[in-house]
Amino acid sequence: MVKPNFTRREFLGTTAVAGAGLLLASCSPNQPKAPGAKSTLSQLNIALIGCGAEGQVLLESLLVIEGIRLVAIVDIWDYNRDSNVRRLKSQGIEVKSYENYEDLLAHEKDLQAVIVATPDFWHAPITNACLQAGLHVYCEKMMSNTIEGARSMVQTMRATGKLLQIGHQRRSNPRYMFALNRLVNDAKICGRLTAANGQWNRAVSEDFGWPKKFALSAEMLAKYGYKDMHQFRNWRWFKALGGGPLSDLGAHQIDIFNWWFGMAPTSVMASGGVDYYKNHEWYDHAMVIYEYPLPTGTVRAFYEVLTTTSAGGGYSEMFMGDEGTIKMSENPSITKLYREDRAPAWDELVAKNYLRASAVAAASTEADKVDVRETAPLLQYDIPVSFAKKIHQPHLENFFNAIRDQKVKLNCPADEAFASEYVIHKANEAIAARKTIEITAAETKA
Amino acid sequence: MSEIHVFHHRAMATQFQVRIAGQDQPYAAQTAQAAFALTDQLESLLSRFRANSDISQIAKLGPQEKLRLSEPVFACLRVARRMEAATRGAFSVTAAALQTQPTRPLWSLLEKEFSLRCDSGRVELDLGAIGKGFALDRMAEILREWDCPAFLLVAGGSSVLAGEAPARTAGWSCGLGDDHSPHRYWLKNGSLSGSGLAVKGKHIIDTRTGIPTARRNRVWALADTAAESDALSTAGMILTEAEISDVLANEPGWLMFLQEKENWRHLGLRPVPPAM
Repeated sequence: MVKPNFTRREFLGTTAVAGAGLLLASCSPNQPKAPGAKSTLSQLNIALIGCGAEGQVLLESLLVIEGIRLVAIVDIWDYNRDSNVRRLKSQGIEVKSYENYEDLLAHEKDLQAVIVATPDFWHAPITNACLQAGLHVYCEKMMSNTIEGARSMVQTMRATGKLLQIGHQRRSNPRYMFALNRLVNDAKICGRLTAANGQWNRAVSEDFGWPKKFALSAEMLAKYGYKDMHQFRNWRWFKALGGGPLSDLGAHQIDIFNWWFGMAPTSVMASGGVDYYKNHEWYDHAMVIYEYPLPTGTVRAFYEVLTTTSAGGGYSEMFMGDEGTIKMSENPSITKLYREDRAPAWDELVAKNYLRASAVAAASTEADKVDVRETAPLLQYDIPVSFAKKIHQPHLENFFNAIRDQKVKLNCPADEAFASEYVIHKANEAIAARKTIEITAAETKA
Repeated sequence: MSEIHVFHHRAMATQFQVRIAGQDQPYAAQTAQAAFALTDQLESLLSRFRANSDISQIAKLGPQEKLRLSEPVFACLRVARRMEAATRGAFSVTAAALQTQPTRPLWSLLEKEFSLRCDSGRVELDLGAIGKGFALDRMAEILREWDCPAFLLVAGGSSVLAGEAPARTAGWSCGLGDDHSPHRYWLKNGSLSGSGLAVKGKHIIDTRTGIPTARRNRVWALADTAAESDALSTAGMILTEAEISDVLANEPGWLMFLQEKENWRHLGLRPVPPAM
């Protein structure tokens, strides 16, 4: 079988291609047990700051990456801190634990990088302090709950010369990279792009609670900026702490719009509101339209995030053109390709292994001849790239590889992520203002 | 009896339930939500239908290749290994692999490395006969952590895990078989799982022969943990009665109920729970 043409960046992290059985080393070496071993380029000492739900996801990926030694974890909540220390110990991994990043920086002098997965309003102060302490930083999106906070992170990154990767992990996903580089840009499979559509809908859910015996004291909560335990556990819904669903869920997908279109939008109009939940500050529904004036013509990108229904069939981003459509998702089973009847045949792309077809297309016949047989099924197409890794693993690996090798570029450096950050904040602004907001290219640069 | 709060969640291709007694509704709802969030996380790691799950990654390993596992996956496979040995191989997470390859793939758990090594074949693991039970065990840890000791957890109707009894009761009323079964017992601090042919037909593969089996209509297994009862009930569909007796003779915490046509009986050293 012919293998797809990969660039080096697409290839890194891809473990299975088109069923060809192309496998990279699957097993990570083991996490060394003893903390305090000296950090080197081949064995990076790192710490995880923030051990909540997102921190857990990153932790699972960190533990399988070669050459990474988790030295310490940080969380203000002893419930998170202690349970993670116990779980790691059960895997033979000893880590130190700290209540806050100041203690971490004061005591751990042989770190090379930190992973920041705290609530958004802590991202900027923690990231800036760690960069200034000489550490490389991988920070979860959103960069900050304010544009000023995000801008300060880019400025600190530039001033310190340290790396700052933002956790838009799809930018390192081999399937996304292949689809953009090979199918959209090289093969122009969509023809002229005319529209995009993204959505991430979730059913109604309870606010997060907490085991009563593990409630933080009022003093502790106030020290770290929370009014009470409810706000601490549900920070994403509060304006001083996070950015609401549009930033939590939409940030990933709106960033994909910018990445795939190669630019930030020039306007945004949006509608939304606190329509359902009575004790939240951020919008539980948001519908947003961005305009991207591409050289080939204007593209309008619609984004929807609803938190009262799971309808919509999973989360996805769809790029539509006059010759075809690609529906992308982190879940490969949701990924779809649609060919318009007017598009050139995709046989050549199948032959090049840019696409996988459900069946071999019938041989083309001369216009004045036809062969008659059973009804032929419609061909279904698929992207011939998968990867046998955890979803966040390639993006973390890109970060660690960039630390080790200056020739490796970050897939989502903070200055690039800032443009997405900016237009997401503007969407929330547009909802509040109930009007279209124009966005200049200069505004989207930090 | 105090009010029992019931919550539902779809995961692992079935319906999960959390029932909590002795708590106010908002606290019970938040506790249930935390437990359900865990089932979603476990499904993302344990499902062979998720492209990036540990189980999918394991299936791509070549001979002698290793994969470091997530903690829950390693823990689940550790139980699976033990249940394979205890049931003489009647329960096996590689049973379904016999449909796609001539011999069972071989694999090893490497405790020190927290890894799985493929020894031969394609390690196509199917946790369908233990994963839901394992999820119930982990959910129970959360409920206890949240100080909700009186609970009943249900996975798809085929496995239940009971905590303490609701106030002023002897346990949770659990029937063997169809709705309103007359064969009912008070269950607490234990797990009951059932396997049979009524819903899915002959879907259980005898890993020792590679063909679907139908030794009896239905089996129920009682154990301390739901992962054990889940796996044991599947094995009970495959083993002969003499083999079941042998298996249970070494496990004082296990009990099995067998139904062959209208003939009901129980085997094992564990005391039968109080009947209703």
